Amino acid sequence: MGEEELHQLISGCIKQDRKCQKMLYKAFYGFSMSICLRYTGNRDEAAEVMNQGFFKVFTHMESYDTGRPFKAWLGKIMMNVSIDHYRSNLKMAYTEDLDEAAHVSDGNLVDKNLNYNDLLAMVQRLPHAYRTVFNLFAIEGYSHDEIASMLNINAGTSKSNLHKARQKLKQMIFKADSSANGANYNNGMNCTPIVAINAVAVNGVFLNKGIRE
Amino acid sequence: MNNEKDKELDDFFRKGLHDPVDPVFRDNDWSSLEQMLQKSKKPKGMVYWLPYISSIAALLLLFLGWWSFRPKQSPQSQSQVATVPHKQSASQSSEHAEIAKSTGASDKNINANPSSAAPGKASIGINAAASGRNKQFAAIMQTEKRPGKESNANRELAMLSLANPRPVFITGLIDQPGINSYTLPNQSVTEMAGKPKSENKVKITSRPAYRPQFAVTVLAAPDLNGVGSFQQSKVGTNIGLQFSAGLSRKFTVTTGVIYSAKPYLTDFDSYHTLYKFPVTPANVTADCRMLDIPLNIGYQVYSKHQNRISIGTGLSSYLMLHENYTFNYTTSNHAYGYTSPTSYTVPHGDNYFMGVLNLNATYERPLNSKIDIAVEPYIKLPLTNIGYSQVRLQSTGIAVGLKWNLNSLAKP
Repeated sequence: MGEEELHQLISGCIKQDRKCQKMLYKAFYGFSMSICLRYTGNRDEAAEVMNQGFFKVFTHMESYDTGRPFKAWLGKIMMNVSIDHYRSNLKMAYTEDLDEAAHVSDGNLVDKNLNYNDLLAMVQRLPHAYRTVFNLFAIEGYSHDEIASMLNINAGTSKSNLHKARQKLKQMIFKADSSANGANYNNGMNCTPIVAINAVAVNGVFLNKGIRE
Repeated sequence: MNNEKDKELDDFFRKGLHDPVDPVFRDNDWSSLEQMLQKSKKPKGMVYWLPYISSIAALLLLFLGWWSFRPKQSPQSQSQVATVPHKQSASQSSEHAEIAKSTGASDKNINANPSSAAPGKASIGINAAASGRNKQFAAIMQTEKRPGKESNANRELAMLSLANPRPVFITGLIDQPGINSYTLPNQSVTEMAGKPKSENKVKITSRPAYRPQFAVTVLAAPDLNGVGSFQQSKVGTNIGLQFSAGLSRKFTVTTGVIYSAKPYLTDFDSYHTLYKFPVTPANVTADCRMLDIPLNIGYQVYSKHQNRISIGTGLSSYLMLHENYTFNYTTSNHAYGYTSPTSYTVPHGDNYFMGVLNLNATYERPLNSKIDIAVEPYIKLPLTNIGYSQVRLQSTGIAVGLKWNLNSLAKP
């Protein structure tokens, strides 16, 4: 999508034009969904969180600074609604506990033949609290102090959750490795064979701390 | 070593998740977002103005309540008609006693034919007032069908006499043993009061119980108490606990227990007793302690930016705990060798079930996810006579409370 077309859509969204809203929604559906999928347990939950994000986008479109990249703004909002979703489900966050994860042997990860869906399924299988911290630290690049303030937890808790998340992921990777060329993690996703061409550098996008919805 | 391995794992996931496989667009997802957007749209037309119209209506209601019970000249002139025979009867009490004996002290048909019980001007005054009152009640019923100048005038008269019906009948009460003579206006009023009660029930049952939302409110309220009007009002105190259940997003039913200290000052005309005072007191200062058990229904008329306004109505039951009356005299309380009492205490009073009409408007705002602050201006109008003194005790005040939401209707 060209810059001009994007700006036309945005100004249509400011006027609450439903057609423009739908076009923008469709254009950034994959991008937004990919963020929400990482923070949630399944596709339906991700869609719910993503819609909350788009709702915020459409109701606060006038506050978007056109001088900044739209994708960064949208990505930030999706991350924030995911964090809000995590906070509202805090009771469910620690339903699973770590079992014998401390003794997982480390191997060479590069050799593992795991694709996007495999990795996403692993992240989704993490308990909510571990998943959120892992996403924020490992994928988005936030520090433990920043994560602590975002999630209203101690930095120590953030470190501990990250450690447990890593242990669990290692466990899953080697389990997948041992079961004939990787297990089929069925996360209920329907995937298109086309890889997103315009995928952004995730790190660069989410380190933009100037925007907080 | 460990740090490097961890970093390697993080990088492995970051790179692996770097190029996401675009999920297939689902129309259902857009539909649910469209619904969310649709709901958030501002209502237009009448619906948009409904909260404002309702607020104005609530204010008008409060004003009319105040207007109806404000002190007036015309009721005084009515009571003067009644007080003339009162003085007469006081001075000629012995004659009246003889007449009462001759007609039979247990005669219960005084109201039906008062002229036979007490002949003379006094009885004519009572009779005229009583028949006039009946006409006024009839006029209220007629005005809905045939509004006109005359009927409007009648209604106004009827409102006035409803507001302060006591003085006309007191004269008969003090001297005559036929207590049931004053029950006529009460019956009429309570019959009329029965209507909103039944309407409330219909409202409750007609709404389906949809995920009830429960809340407990601790409240305190200063209020003004007066008899007939707020002319001689005194400040009372209320402390209570209320429990509310949301029947739907709009309707809420509230009940609870409120401890009320209601002091008030009233003219002796409004004070009813069978005891015959040797010297008539000028006025009575009362201090009543009671439990107020309200049963109210509220309708939310406004909800925006966490501010909620609702209007409500309902009935209160008063359980009297303690009543203390102090009689004030303009001159000495000694006369004819007798002394009038200066005070009277009722340790355990009667209960008055559903005897008070509540009208209120409530403003609520959440302090956090569990606690709301509520401010509630209210007015309590009597449907029956309250207390040992059988007065038309009315109250108005502002309750301030903290409302603890026991469960939440929507996800945070």
